Amino acid sequence: MSAAPSSVPVSYRIADKLHLSAPWEVFGERARRYELHFNGRVIELVRGPLVVEGFGVRVFRTLGERTATGFQASTDTSEKGIAHAAEDATQIATHSDFPAKKVDLPSAPPSGEVEAVDAKLWEAPLPRLREYVDALLAPFDSIKDAVPSFGSVRATLTETSIANSAGLRTTYPHTTIELELAVKAFGGPEGVPPGEYWVNQLTRRIDPEDAGDPVPSWCSYAEDARRAHAPPTGDLPIVLPAHVLAGILPSVIGFRWTGGARLRELAPATGTVVGVPGLHVTDDGRFPWGPSTAPVDDEGVATRKRTLIAGGVVDELLYDLLHAGAFEVPSSGNGLRGLSFGYRDWLRFTHAPAPGSTTLVVAPGTDGTDAELAEIAGEGIWLQQLGWANPDSISGAFGGEIRIGYRIRNGKIAEPVRGGTIGGLVMALPGTPSLLSGLVAIGSKAKLVDDLSSPTLLVKSLTVAGDAGGGSISAGSG
Amino acid sequence: MTDLRDFEADIDRILTRLERAASFADIVAQRVSGQGIRLDRRSTSPSMHARLHGAALRAWEGSHWIEAASSDLSLAGLEVAADGIERALEAAPVRSDPPGPSSVTDAEASTNPPHPVSELGVEGMIALGKDVLGWATQVPTVRDAIVRIGWSDEERLYLNTAGARTYQRVTRVEGTVVPLAFEDGRVEFDFLGEGGVGGRECLEFLNETRVKEAAESSRSLLSAKAPPTGAMTVILDPGVAGTFAHESFGHGTEADQFVRDRSYLKPILGQVVGPETLTLVDNGAYPGGWGTIYFDDEGNPGQRTVLVQKGRFIGALHDRETAQVLHARPTGNTRRADFLSRPFVRMTNTYIEPGTWTLDELVKEAKNGVLLERATSGIEDPLGGQMQLKVKRGRKIENGVLTDVVTSMALSGKVLDFLKGIRGVSKANDFRIEPGYCGKGHSDIVPAGTGGTYLLSDAIVGPA
Repeated sequence: MSAAPSSVPVSYRIADKLHLSAPWEVFGERARRYELHFNGRVIELVRGPLVVEGFGVRVFRTLGERTATGFQASTDTSEKGIAHAAEDATQIATHSDFPAKKVDLPSAPPSGEVEAVDAKLWEAPLPRLREYVDALLAPFDSIKDAVPSFGSVRATLTETSIANSAGLRTTYPHTTIELELAVKAFGGPEGVPPGEYWVNQLTRRIDPEDAGDPVPSWCSYAEDARRAHAPPTGDLPIVLPAHVLAGILPSVIGFRWTGGARLRELAPATGTVVGVPGLHVTDDGRFPWGPSTAPVDDEGVATRKRTLIAGGVVDELLYDLLHAGAFEVPSSGNGLRGLSFGYRDWLRFTHAPAPGSTTLVVAPGTDGTDAELAEIAGEGIWLQQLGWANPDSISGAFGGEIRIGYRIRNGKIAEPVRGGTIGGLVMALPGTPSLLSGLVAIGSKAKLVDDLSSPTLLVKSLTVAGDAGGGSISAGSG
Repeated sequence: MTDLRDFEADIDRILTRLERAASFADIVAQRVSGQGIRLDRRSTSPSMHARLHGAALRAWEGSHWIEAASSDLSLAGLEVAADGIERALEAAPVRSDPPGPSSVTDAEASTNPPHPVSELGVEGMIALGKDVLGWATQVPTVRDAIVRIGWSDEERLYLNTAGARTYQRVTRVEGTVVPLAFEDGRVEFDFLGEGGVGGRECLEFLNETRVKEAAESSRSLLSAKAPPTGAMTVILDPGVAGTFAHESFGHGTEADQFVRDRSYLKPILGQVVGPETLTLVDNGAYPGGWGTIYFDDEGNPGQRTVLVQKGRFIGALHDRETAQVLHARPTGNTRRADFLSRPFVRMTNTYIEPGTWTLDELVKEAKNGVLLERATSGIEDPLGGQMQLKVKRGRKIENGVLTDVVTSMALSGKVLDFLKGIRGVSKANDFRIEPGYCGKGHSDIVPAGTGGTYLLSDAIVGPA
């Protein structure tokens, strides 16, 4: 890993100019962003460098058994700008109230390295992005009747730094790449409307060598969407691959398993059975190439692996500094900034930290390949893409429209389905069906997609709403 | 710094520099400030909007746009961004004009409510939040509530080399309460939220009656049944109807999708798509609307654009480029999420205009089905023409009467079938515009208002 750092990290510069009597921390970022937007094979917009340098300063005041905090962020790194931000934070703290008995700011720098920088991208961002986009779009030249109709690649190169009044000074570089691509299939019989498959990926690195590999599959999904029909109505076995689960599990587990949820009586108690015995889930802040992977969390606490669910039973919860102080436990290294809207804001310095999950890791099982999971399902649906699962973090309800899926008949992937809805609960009280308690099979190979590493999962049944009147069918497995 | 215009001389100097290198260039500078509070039974968290400012620089390269941006509005900071643009322009093959008409508007506009929310201060917002929390937790089983109140002042200054200069300051105010009901290990919630461009009047909805209604609704969801599943008659509440107007139809009218051949609506422009009772508009000039803007990010005034008039699809939303390609005029819908984001054709306030029915009449007409209430999200399918809307709760309709409360649902179907199936739209007294946030794809989030009245049609519904 190599990356050219700026002369002095942002938070160190700010820290040197702060004059505060109360404990404080500064989270600083210097980011460069580059973007290529395309329409078909044509680049329609080149953006970059988009340069942002900013910081967030937080002050802490102890009020007996409680703590007050004040936070302000700014892009103004002049002495005057720093003073204004510190004044704002101090003033805000006078109105704040939180039940943390004390806050232990970290002082030790982290040990060990993590994999979070695409070195080639860091060295030559725009040329590397162009190379990647050329490789990504090249397969379309030889695929008949399919084009990229809307897309962009956005690369962000960031140097994050954290300093606090306990003496911590730590900095690390990281890269993120967001790909958005709509693939359109068209042509064929007159009157058949075009179909689309929508790709969204968040990664730490790109490789032009294999960028185009998935394109033929994406084109197939777009083509299949053209001939798909709505599924039948009923409770059916559903196969959920990692890229679908990535839109479901982190939003619910990443909230319910935190000190924030515990404080509001929304977290499951340690020892509660929430899943099948074969279910093991960890949170790993150092997962290789995870989009949230870093040596420290956004409060400077060293990251590590935490066991959230062991054998279907709730084990640990995740804490930031404030919630750790409320429950008199150590921070788990899960103070994160900019978690909202189901995505992570790249301007993390503008947000105060809150507890959340980094990379959720569902341990692979022993039930084999995707084809073998379909065989176990017997009858059901392979869900390739939902419109937007948009889980409700509190109730655990999730679901949405089937943008493309496949019937499973006699243990084999069959005709495509599209339209209608699939929904259920991620977790529920005993006796109520849920995704975690209804797992029938866990695939043998995991895949990292956004903030989730998971194998494909087969759920005994989720509710499908389709338009094939009177054609309801029932779960055929488990 | 008291005003974004304090930086104007340096911004203008940079524009002059870009004018020497490109046939056309423009700059959008932005500054945001504001305050907010979040409180519940256990904690109070006030906040200030980040002291964020910066500028986006854009120039026409001959075949495409080049952009750079900086969070440093000093002359030195802007020059770094301008250097990036000039380097890219050095390789430009020819100097030619960009597509579409350049704005020459020279105007300023600001939100000036008689009673700005800023007058409340953090103390006032906390006091109101504690009242709201108190009202909510008076309802049995509601042990806690999450209350958020906040305002933001956003300034944007637009300058281009054709002579346009627009300055605006838009003040947005928003409040929400989420009462949490607990019983036998189960947790449920409903919510109450409104927002708009204006002042303290935007928070008047946070009164005892409305808050207790929301808390009672949270409580009712504890014993609510699962929603009916399958194809059926549905009534959308005004917020859900607005989300439909925005997500399911509006995104397909953003003309950049026409240019990409990525809209199911493009081939049917000019055709009848719904009953005469259906009129659907986007209106950036709607007074007090959450998505209201005085000028867009190409210097054109925010304005009303009729998309569907009495059932006929007649209009689309344009930036300068799509206007050129499709022989139309820019409609004031070019928006950047912020100075770091690219401009796109975006909606502002999108709504269905009122009809002539009452809700009771719609329920009787429906006979059996479900009323969908409290939109929580929706997502577009601009090419495929499908729809996904999600709601927090609903009511069953049985024999022409509203009956049981049901839990959260998703609605699906083909948009054009849904439009053809519209059998009634309720009267103006039901009309409201709700605050929302819209992404173009999965990013570039902008405030967007969605609205309407009750609407009766047919769709597929299932728990979600």
